[in-house]
Amino acid sequence: MKMTKIHVDAELCRDCQACELACSLVREGQSNPALARLQVTKDMARYEFDILICQQCQPALCMEACPNEAILRDERGVVLILDEQCLRCGECAEACPYHAIFYHQATDRYLKCDLCAGVEGGPACVAICPVGALTLMLETVPEEQ
Amino acid sequence: MDNRSQTITGGWVGKILEVDLSTGQIRTRPTSRYLPQGLGGRTLAAHIAWEEIPPGIDPFDPSNRIIVATGPLTGTLSPTSGRTFMSTLSPRIYPRPWYTHSTLGGWFGPALKYAGFDAIIIHGKAAEPVYLHIREGQAELRPAGELWGMDTRQAQLWLKQQFGSRTQVLVIGPAGERLVRFATVQHAEENAAGHSGFGAVWGSKNLKAITAYGTAGVPVADPQALWEEVRRLGTYRPSPNHSILYAGQLERKKPVCSQSCTFNCVVANFGQAEDGRTVPGLCVGGLAWISETEMKGTRYQGGGMEVPESQNFELRKEATLADRCNALGLDVWFRLVMQPWLIACQQHGIHALRGHPIDPNNPAWFEGFMHGLAYRQGLGALFADDLRRLMDELEGELPDDLIALGRELEFGFGFPAHREGRFWDEEPLPFWVISAMMHASESRDPTIGTHSASLLLADFLLLADRDLALRKFRTLSEKVWNDPEALEPTFENKAPLAIWNQDQHIVIDSLPLCDFAFPQVMRPIGSLEEWQQAEDISGDLDYDLRLLKAVTGLVLSRQELTHYARRAFTLERLMLARAGRARPMEEGLAPHFKLPCRADGTLIEPEGFSHLLDEYYIARGWDLELGWPKPETLQELGLAEAIPELERLREKERKP
Repeated sequence: MKMTKIHVDAELCRDCQACELACSLVREGQSNPALARLQVTKDMARYEFDILICQQCQPALCMEACPNEAILRDERGVVLILDEQCLRCGECAEACPYHAIFYHQATDRYLKCDLCAGVEGGPACVAICPVGALTLMLETVPEEQ
Repeated sequence: MDNRSQTITGGWVGKILEVDLSTGQIRTRPTSRYLPQGLGGRTLAAHIAWEEIPPGIDPFDPSNRIIVATGPLTGTLSPTSGRTFMSTLSPRIYPRPWYTHSTLGGWFGPALKYAGFDAIIIHGKAAEPVYLHIREGQAELRPAGELWGMDTRQAQLWLKQQFGSRTQVLVIGPAGERLVRFATVQHAEENAAGHSGFGAVWGSKNLKAITAYGTAGVPVADPQALWEEVRRLGTYRPSPNHSILYAGQLERKKPVCSQSCTFNCVVANFGQAEDGRTVPGLCVGGLAWISETEMKGTRYQGGGMEVPESQNFELRKEATLADRCNALGLDVWFRLVMQPWLIACQQHGIHALRGHPIDPNNPAWFEGFMHGLAYRQGLGALFADDLRRLMDELEGELPDDLIALGRELEFGFGFPAHREGRFWDEEPLPFWVISAMMHASESRDPTIGTHSASLLLADFLLLADRDLALRKFRTLSEKVWNDPEALEPTFENKAPLAIWNQDQHIVIDSLPLCDFAFPQVMRPIGSLEEWQQAEDISGDLDYDLRLLKAVTGLVLSRQELTHYARRAFTLERLMLARAGRARPMEEGLAPHFKLPCRADGTLIEPEGFSHLLDEYYIARGWDLELGWPKPETLQELGLAEAIPELERLREKERKP
């Protein structure tokens, strides 16, 4: 099947965090990296950066870990959390090999990248990243068992 | 509170933290008390400082205030808005300390807002070293016994280990702990409140660090409008726009020094330290790391003065020294004045000062000297109160011309050698005249926040076709300043532009934005060829107003924003008046401008300089005797309550 994901080239990242701010602005209507569906990390000791974002894995370990079938894959191949069905148990975040499912305590929600479902122009983080560290990638993967 | 504050639905997070280090008491007050005229950053701090810093005190007096302030755009996607503003009485300013300001890039301001605070006011003095720990709407003072003595890098790594890598830290190093007058408040790698020695004020209060972390976010009044404004501006554009003059520099990937900076900045570069680490460098650090070839061309020369050329070390050594300097918490710019002066000593056959050998072109010696500065040891102890004060101490002990050179290198009010045409930057007419007026009226090197306001346009006169540049300036000046001759290379009528630059500086330091990217006097232009062909090069100067509206909901006119800026500038001027700064001291800058400008050899005699002051003071509505605001000027700015105090100061100043 065809699927899209956001490819990360962490070597290019400079920690401007515009991706986090764009994500929370477009998706949540506020400026709050803690509500972003991706996260820039910095290792100050080594001066190295990384970007944690869902790779829409096939198969998706988060989906397998969810005890309440609150995670599903849509027709685009994008892995989604159904908030109303989510038990807030955190099993998905534990299972994610990319550490890309984030818990926001104040709103008691688990958040992950859904490739900006419904947003005109596609993922806001890709649109804003000034250095091309995030790119939208289309790839063909084997069907999920 | 202005009734328009009720229209505010975003930007500010609502609370200002007040910390008394003497009693340990922590309180909050509403930000709305200062809105809308105390916008944020520099404007907000000016209102607080005017009301709360007692007149006549020393910077190290416990009642001095440290103000750390964000602005309404901090923590949002507004491009380059991650900056943090700081102010206090500066121990570096010469001849006597007064109120001044500094901004630093980075990620601290955003973290402070996500933690729930727009600003912090700190006074008092802790009995033992402490750090202020701010997390999720709460603040507490914690003992800093383990941290005290650590360099700024060790301390940040230690605090991040304790509280997580997203915790942001402002911290002083050994230099701040020992009250070195050019000690920085440091953040991340090379972001610093540097020139004004604020680190020493922290040290005097036994304040080692402030940490901030929060997940509350910043409300945005109109998210869609903000998104559209940011997209309209575009990303990965050169910053500043004059970068088109530097062929080859736009292709290199540059570090960013601030959250939400989506530009590619010509003055930023990555360096490699000797231990293999990549280190980011900005401006004086980063420029030196462009390449070995460029480095050989980096000279610290004076115009009329015989300033010896300083030797640069090889790239890795330069990067290592800059990184070490940041870790020690010293202002990296110290080298620009101390190294040439020490070389001049050698040329005079002086190879030791008070028994301490000097060898400024030897990197190992230099590193040791730097260490000595931060720890006030050996030769460093002699220089730790800065070069200017050292000249007063060594007068009579060294040849007069060496003393004169030292005074010239730091020619007034602290560290002014920046875009004034004589020493480090080349600023042909009329740019040095504009910066001289700014310098004569402000607390510190004023051009530090006005790179893009107009001053960088000077480079077109030097590096592009000069006649073509002047023609373009005329069209630009007509459009932006309603005066086609605003940028003519003459001495006349430059006060309006100096004041415009100062207005822009205050707005930039208040919202905040980066002055290497804003205001967009020149529109984005991709190449020198495109610039040559463009009829109109003027940019979008109302971008700040639209960002402010999108983020806060507050609709301001340019006139209103300028009014707030001038009000804050005047409060700063009143604080200078409190410190006895007046026209006679400003006339004292005249000899410096009698030296020919490096770029075009132009100069001004003291009488001419005096005319420049007249023109500027009149344009500001200040008196010609002292250069202080007239009562009617204060009235117009809504500062009538300051009139009685200023009148008392006038009487005192006039007494023989």
